[in-house]
Amino acid sequence: MRLIVLANRNRALALLAVMLLLQVGLSGRSTSDETPGKTIAAEEVAFKEQVQPLLQKFCVRCHNAENMESGIRVDQLTAALEERQLPLWKDILKQVADEDMPPADEPQPTAEQRKSLTEWITRAMTVARSRPTPKNGSVRRLTVAQYRNTLRDLLGLQEDLTDALPPEGISKDGFANNGQTLLLSPLQVETYFDIAEKALDLCLVDENSKPVIQNFRMDFGTAINPQPCPDNLVLGALNMLLNNADFVVTELKPRKPFDFQPFAMQTQFEFIEGYVGNDTIRAWKKFDSIYHAVFACVRGTPGYPKGEAHQVVASGLLLRPAIPSPEIFGQSNTYGPMANFKISLRELPEQGTFRVTVKAARYDEGELDQSGTAFGQRSPSLGVYLGLRRDCGSTLTRVGKPQAVANAELQDFIFEGAINDFPTPDVEKDNVNYLAGIREIGIRSEYTDGRDMPRLLVRSVEFEGPFYDSWPPATHRDIFLESPHKNDPAAYAQEVIRSFATRAFRRPVTAAELETLVRVWKNSFADKNDFRQSIKDALLVVLTSPQFLFLIENSSSPAAEDLDGYELASKLSYFMWNAPPDQRLLELAAKNALHQSLDAEIERMIRDPRFGQFVSEFASQWLSLDKFDVVAVEAQRYPKLTRDTKTQLRQEPIQFLRYLIEHNLPLRNVVQSDFLVANEVTASYYDLASRTESGFRFVPIKHENENLGGVLTQAGILAGLSDGRESNPIKRGAWLARKIIAEPPDDPPPNVPQLKEDDGAKLTLREKLERHRNQKGCAKCHSGIDPWGLPFETFDAGGLFKKDAGLDARSTLPDKTEIKDLNGLKTYLAHDRIDQLAFSFLKHTACYAVGRSLAYNELVFLQEQSVSLKANDYRMQELLRFVIKSDLFLKK
Amino acid sequence: MPTSLQLDRRAVLKGLAGVTLTLPLLEAMGKEVAAKTPRRFCAMYTANGMSLPNPKHGIDDWSWFPKTEGRAFEFGKSTEPLKAFREKLSFLGGLHHPNGPKADPHLCSDMWLTGAPLHNPKPGMFNSVALDQVVAQHTKQFCRQPSLVLSIDAGVGFLSRTGTISYNVEGKPIPAENNPRRVFDRLFRGDRASLATQREQLQRRIKLVDAVLESSKALNKQLGQSDREKMDQYLTSLDEIEARLTASEKWIDIPLKTQDYSHLNLDATSEGEPAEYYRNMFDLIALAFDADITRSVAFMLNREDGMGISDTFPLKLGLTRTHHNLSHAEDKDGQLEFAKYDQFLSQQVAGFLKRLEDYKDNDASVLDNTIVLFGSGASTTHYPKNLPTLIAGGSNMGLKHGTYWRGKDLRMSNVFLSILRSMGIEQDSFSDSTGTLGDSIFSKV
Repeated sequence: MRLIVLANRNRALALLAVMLLLQVGLSGRSTSDETPGKTIAAEEVAFKEQVQPLLQKFCVRCHNAENMESGIRVDQLTAALEERQLPLWKDILKQVADEDMPPADEPQPTAEQRKSLTEWITRAMTVARSRPTPKNGSVRRLTVAQYRNTLRDLLGLQEDLTDALPPEGISKDGFANNGQTLLLSPLQVETYFDIAEKALDLCLVDENSKPVIQNFRMDFGTAINPQPCPDNLVLGALNMLLNNADFVVTELKPRKPFDFQPFAMQTQFEFIEGYVGNDTIRAWKKFDSIYHAVFACVRGTPGYPKGEAHQVVASGLLLRPAIPSPEIFGQSNTYGPMANFKISLRELPEQGTFRVTVKAARYDEGELDQSGTAFGQRSPSLGVYLGLRRDCGSTLTRVGKPQAVANAELQDFIFEGAINDFPTPDVEKDNVNYLAGIREIGIRSEYTDGRDMPRLLVRSVEFEGPFYDSWPPATHRDIFLESPHKNDPAAYAQEVIRSFATRAFRRPVTAAELETLVRVWKNSFADKNDFRQSIKDALLVVLTSPQFLFLIENSSSPAAEDLDGYELASKLSYFMWNAPPDQRLLELAAKNALHQSLDAEIERMIRDPRFGQFVSEFASQWLSLDKFDVVAVEAQRYPKLTRDTKTQLRQEPIQFLRYLIEHNLPLRNVVQSDFLVANEVTASYYDLASRTESGFRFVPIKHENENLGGVLTQAGILAGLSDGRESNPIKRGAWLARKIIAEPPDDPPPNVPQLKEDDGAKLTLREKLERHRNQKGCAKCHSGIDPWGLPFETFDAGGLFKKDAGLDARSTLPDKTEIKDLNGLKTYLAHDRIDQLAFSFLKHTACYAVGRSLAYNELVFLQEQSVSLKANDYRMQELLRFVIKSDLFLKK
Repeated sequence: MPTSLQLDRRAVLKGLAGVTLTLPLLEAMGKEVAAKTPRRFCAMYTANGMSLPNPKHGIDDWSWFPKTEGRAFEFGKSTEPLKAFREKLSFLGGLHHPNGPKADPHLCSDMWLTGAPLHNPKPGMFNSVALDQVVAQHTKQFCRQPSLVLSIDAGVGFLSRTGTISYNVEGKPIPAENNPRRVFDRLFRGDRASLATQREQLQRRIKLVDAVLESSKALNKQLGQSDREKMDQYLTSLDEIEARLTASEKWIDIPLKTQDYSHLNLDATSEGEPAEYYRNMFDLIALAFDADITRSVAFMLNREDGMGISDTFPLKLGLTRTHHNLSHAEDKDGQLEFAKYDQFLSQQVAGFLKRLEDYKDNDASVLDNTIVLFGSGASTTHYPKNLPTLIAGGSNMGLKHGTYWRGKDLRMSNVFLSILRSMGIEQDSFSDSTGTLGDSIFSKV
């Protein structure tokens, strides 16, 4: 039959229903025996005559539009085996073959009937599997994280402007970059306009203006200030101001290769409101001293356990590690850690980047400090914070990463950030309250695991902002390029716009696109005669165009086509960096050489620091680390799980996965490893016998603890899968089934009957689960969940091993394997089920890489073809390569 | 997304190209908007909690929360002035922000309309968007001003002693206005210079959106077989934005509704007599609603912890202590005085409801088309649970009044989500909401 021949042979099934109608209409025309139409038509007949009546008789009574027992409808199934029905067909096949359905108390089909059913489904599935999914390219927008990274890379802008965008929805597979869940609303598009406007304002400057730069330094030392402020300084509750003579503030004029205007801080003030103790006092009062503008203070919970939290000596200020105050776990106290040193000040630049330079050293603690001792090997970590004072303490955000201070000689440590990425008080300029709107620069010796260590010596802290290397700044020069056409507005505008749009679109801008953009410039320039503004208008259109906001793979037919070079460059970089392609990828794309250079590029991309953005994003979503972000851990039960410790534990799975990939280790390490990737904080949390001296840096350590290793026993995961009080085998079991072995339980059916509460009988958890499992309507899902969750029962809601010998973590897994405990489960997964583990990793990676759910065929492809990687132990990089080099990724 | 204007956008754009729009056309558009019943929101905040006297003093009848739950509730003396509106209002109890008790209690006014986790804020984003600003996002295309943010003291105050209850989508405080004359001049006497700037900005944005639209359409044509769903969403969004901008621009030329301003005393200030001040501020809100100048208002009646001028209002009214001191009073006299101050506030709110009741939209009173939320961020001083909450108006949006409804430790954000849904704003959530209020005074959520 012509139609079938014309149509892609394998798509024929999808068209079956239509064609059958046609066939009726066209009867009389003969069909060659060799055409697949015959087989398909025959199957259709078989479905009508044999299969449908059986389904009707034995299944539909419960699985219809109204009842939808277990959320399943059988009455809609057709012989076409549509893509979305395939998983259900697979399930039916299993249920019928295993004689799990119909339920025992319902009429049963004969053996013959079962056989005819299973045979037909098997045959039809084979046909269905062999048909490739139509590929029509794809259009999906950048996720918020991708958009943020893209703006940053394109504009060279540190500041994060994306706060106003709503967070992404999460797809069924657990990912934020799924094209289906990435919605667009007018509000969101409006926000893109606002962000673009702000971003360009930040990048572009008036070349003829002089920047204003604020620069000052505070030095510390006993009686260092010959002219200390005579007034009593006030900073509110629980403060310990430094002695006025022990610090001195100097306003500086930095050396710069360009003209600028130094910012002079205001030193004269008049306020009507202030505090004395807890009382508000009202009376206009004048103040005149730089020390009312910038002052030094330690604020925090008193009572440092060993020695003084801080001390001023001749050479500077000494700080002991800032111990998180216990109240912080109870969340109400924001006074900060013990030894919470900060510089309070009234004025900071309104925008731009800043630099804080701390002159610091590892303090020589004399005889304690022998190089042979553990104490002598330790160095303090210097952390810098920026934020604001509040009546109840402060809100401070860390600037960059803490830096180890290993030398006894003073050294400069530099910290940089964008001022608006840090908490700002947003107070009007003429506020009449002495303490309103005070900013803070926090300086800490960071606390890791509480072991004694030498003190941090801080000699001085210098602030400079906005910080410019050059003027006009690079953000400006990247847009307004050097050019011989600078004096010809039309030619120069064209050049500027072409260059910017090409970078923004991640491919050469087309003539038509350029024309539109240049027209925007032209109209604006004609209108206002303001060159910078008119260029800004054109660039604003670039930054709000779909070519910038979307990842587009353009396809001309439903057949699979190769990605073009630029599409591949973007696909690769948004996969492996969560960021736009760099110069090199684009150059390879331009030369049409990227496809051939894939191996080398993958390797290069893994070594690039941006690879961390992939691991962080992917690991967080694959392993559902967001659950750990939101779980409210009960402080009384889990006192070790402080906010700061949580921050580090949240990093652990990410750092672990990154280590596995970077070192190309076998996949089995994901579930079973003889090492942890830990820093001092996490090593201390797990109470490892051998600690690290790495501070906050994550390094591999042999754990020598049979109950550790792999992600399953990482606290960030286990605690996230609890309610913050008790461990939860159901959450953990469902997570394992979904994420680790990709055998997701079904969604809970609608109208699940409420569980009968304990009828007086004291049941163990195991018995409760069993009772639940045996409940009609619950059994089907829970038999796929509970067995995976029970082995976790020896781990508490804080993610640590419960030292309770009486606990029972035995489980009979769905394939009837008996395991003793979580270690048994780990061994089982790492060996018996390693293929499934590999499939799961590939499935999740591929889903993330292509930004959509996978079609049934693609899953089958992964399942069947990945076995080729087994011989080499399913090494991590090989798994990534497998995904990238498959048609799944390379075709559109 | 509510559909905006039915008028042909192109017709308006043509107008932009040079030809001035004719007045009848503008009126047609104005009528179009007016024909759809406006849905409005007004939030009013009072600091330091409400009077809940200690039982040992025997003055329970002064309790702010009514005596009996449900429809049989009885007004206490401090809310008696609201009696006339019994069928147009409801008391809500048992509500709080779960983040409230975790944070410094002085932060309760910062989070009243936002519910944000202020004890553990996101880096770079201290607060989160306030309810009035979410409403404004969805109503701004129908009126002249997205929202009106008022307070007893101008500006924003400062963290934990805030002078505004409104926060934008980035969580930044929105400076409030406190002077009736300035508010009047801005809303009803827009000066030419600022109107011209506004028009210029809108026109620029419209041009840019149009350029993006044009290049998107060109791209869409090239896309061949590619999945076009996302592009369609994008194009629709751009169309919608353009329509909104055009609508905003159009408002500049539409004459204001003729209204009677004779009852206003624009010389009233917060330094003067409290009742006179509040009356004028409320009258301005009512006039702004009636003329459809804005559909979202936030008004902070007084500030936490003895800040600002309002702390002295009780003294001006002949009571013996300041507002914050009264809220801390343990003795009978002090608690009675605190309750009397609440009674004074109830009188002012009742006056406001009366104004709203007297103004008419096409089909009902302005009150019936406005959800008025009045409450505090603490029940008594610094206790951020069981937030005193009164909701009035909005009968046209499905609100069923005349009751004292109590939840059990329910989230305030669920009330806020219910308000949004009642207004036809189909958000999935607001702040930390877990759903709508369910079986309560909201019947259309």
